[in-house]
Amino acid sequence: MEYLKSAISSIKQNKGRTFLTMLGIIIGIASVITILSIGNGMKSYVNTSLDEMSSGGVTINLDPKKTDRYLNIDDLEKIRDVVPEMLGITNSISANGEAVTDKQQLEVGITGGLPDIARENTKGMFDGRFFRQDDVESGAAVCVISQEDAILLFNTDEVVDKSFQLNIGNKSAECSIVGVTRSDEEDIKNAREAVRKKEQAYNWCTIQVPYTLLTGRFGLSGEKITSFKIYTSPGIADETALKVKSVTENLIDVRGEGAVQIQSFASIAGAYNNILNIVTLVVALIAAISLLVGGIGVMNIMTVTVTERTREIGIRKSLGAKTSYILIQFLTESAVITLIGGMIGILMGYLFTRIVQLFMSFPPVISPMDVLMVVTISIADGLFFGIYPARKAAKMDPIEALRQE
Amino acid sequence: MPALVEIRDICKVYNPGENEVRALDHVSLNIDKGEFVAIIGQSGSGKSTLMNMLGCLDTPTSGKYYLHGIDVSHMSDDEQSDVRNREIGFIFQGFNLIQSLTALENVELPLMYRGVNKRKRRELSIAALEHVGLGKRMTHKPSELSGGQQQRVAIARAIAQAPPILLADEPTGNLDSGSSKEIISIIKRLYAEGRTVILITHDPGIAKQAKRIITISDGKIAKDEINENFTL
Repeated sequence: MEYLKSAISSIKQNKGRTFLTMLGIIIGIASVITILSIGNGMKSYVNTSLDEMSSGGVTINLDPKKTDRYLNIDDLEKIRDVVPEMLGITNSISANGEAVTDKQQLEVGITGGLPDIARENTKGMFDGRFFRQDDVESGAAVCVISQEDAILLFNTDEVVDKSFQLNIGNKSAECSIVGVTRSDEEDIKNAREAVRKKEQAYNWCTIQVPYTLLTGRFGLSGEKITSFKIYTSPGIADETALKVKSVTENLIDVRGEGAVQIQSFASIAGAYNNILNIVTLVVALIAAISLLVGGIGVMNIMTVTVTERTREIGIRKSLGAKTSYILIQFLTESAVITLIGGMIGILMGYLFTRIVQLFMSFPPVISPMDVLMVVTISIADGLFFGIYPARKAAKMDPIEALRQE
Repeated sequence: MPALVEIRDICKVYNPGENEVRALDHVSLNIDKGEFVAIIGQSGSGKSTLMNMLGCLDTPTSGKYYLHGIDVSHMSDDEQSDVRNREIGFIFQGFNLIQSLTALENVELPLMYRGVNKRKRRELSIAALEHVGLGKRMTHKPSELSGGQQQRVAIARAIAQAPPILLADEPTGNLDSGSSKEIISIIKRLYAEGRTVILITHDPGIAKQAKRIITISDGKIAKDEINENFTL
């Protein structure tokens, strides 16, 4: 406590030059903080995007080059029974067609599946309900559409129970909307604008239907399933996918041939994170060189301080200050300089990241761990570079020191 | 009962060999508790070396220095610091106050090094400053005090920890005659209160104020006499 008080009061006496000395540390710490937080921000941005992509589930493919076998819809139910930790499973049949109302005619991308395909819609329902198992069993001509696509098609998102004519190839059916999924505000706004301006770029929409509508009334093939999706809880995606893979291999008897493939984003995310970590670390290390230079500045100014205060050191020693006391006094002083520099640096780094944020699509993240680390580094910097001048002070001969003017 | 200060055959030699300088040449000296001694000599006589020796700031080339019967002449730096802190109150010619600290903080320093707790430290320091008549100037920095006042702060610092020996090195050297008289009278009062005072000076007028006068010249004790004219 005494040391701290004396350090602060002596720093106060040389405010200007101490601040100039701190600049090195301030810049060093500020750049380290900025780089780390941009790195963190990038990582969490990439992870969220990959998370969003993979929240749609994991796709399991049968490689047609390695096997000509396939699953049927009952096999999916078997997999569901064997792997209960799975949140959902569905086949997925795609088709393109036209959606026609009395006002509009749009191209439409149609995805047919089981009710579990509802898990694709991470934003939830806006109105109505998703199609159900009984819709699948009866092959009902019902569909689910997103808010923005409803606006494109009907110029309103209150479209539950409305219907339109769905044409695929030369066949058509009157398709009734049972539910509307939620869209981002931004997308809804864009859709409204597009309708108002009749923009050509917005002539396409997507709907989800029971797969039986496509295989039944429209006569599309879908009995031979060579690709399906499973939905899992985030933490256990990998192991669940592996389990599903081995169950599938057993079902179609292709063990160990690599015929069943998992398409997941977790492995991509892992690789991406590793690269980002290395890049962040390398750049942060380069920034840390300025800490070294800053530390040398502190060593320099402390050496000057020790020389200027030779007489004071002599007085203190003649009054009975031990070597260790003088040593700690000057070490505290240099550590306080770098600590204050470090804190200002953190503040500056924070401001930099706010500025950087204006030009980037993702927010930088300042983690408390990084702040703690940087504070520790700056104290350590001062202690390390303070050793030389402090030792010089502590080893002074009191008679020589007192003789100084 | 050993003497408070006992110096046995001390030599201090600088540049041993060709151009050696014998600052102290086989000096022996006893000072008892409660004495008031002046050590007088011209510059270069060795009196400063003797004062450094007595103050445990320096170690002799040969010979022994017993303080309270304990040999302090060949201690480590830290041990010497400890002896200085406990046994000796310094009063310097140049006051040697730390400019960035207030009068009170300056007086507290040796107590801090001794490890006295904050409350006790403050108490003792205030008492010492009041003792030298500076009760109302405690929060002043040295630069805001006159020379005489600064020397009184230094005296307060020397007596606050109640050391057995007061070692005053030319205490009036930087002062005008008025302030000098004041400082001498304070030193005499401290002696009268029972403290052992060793006064180092080149000025016979100052030396005359002491009860025992030791004259040193060429590193040897030339005279050691009782001052018959001593008055308090």
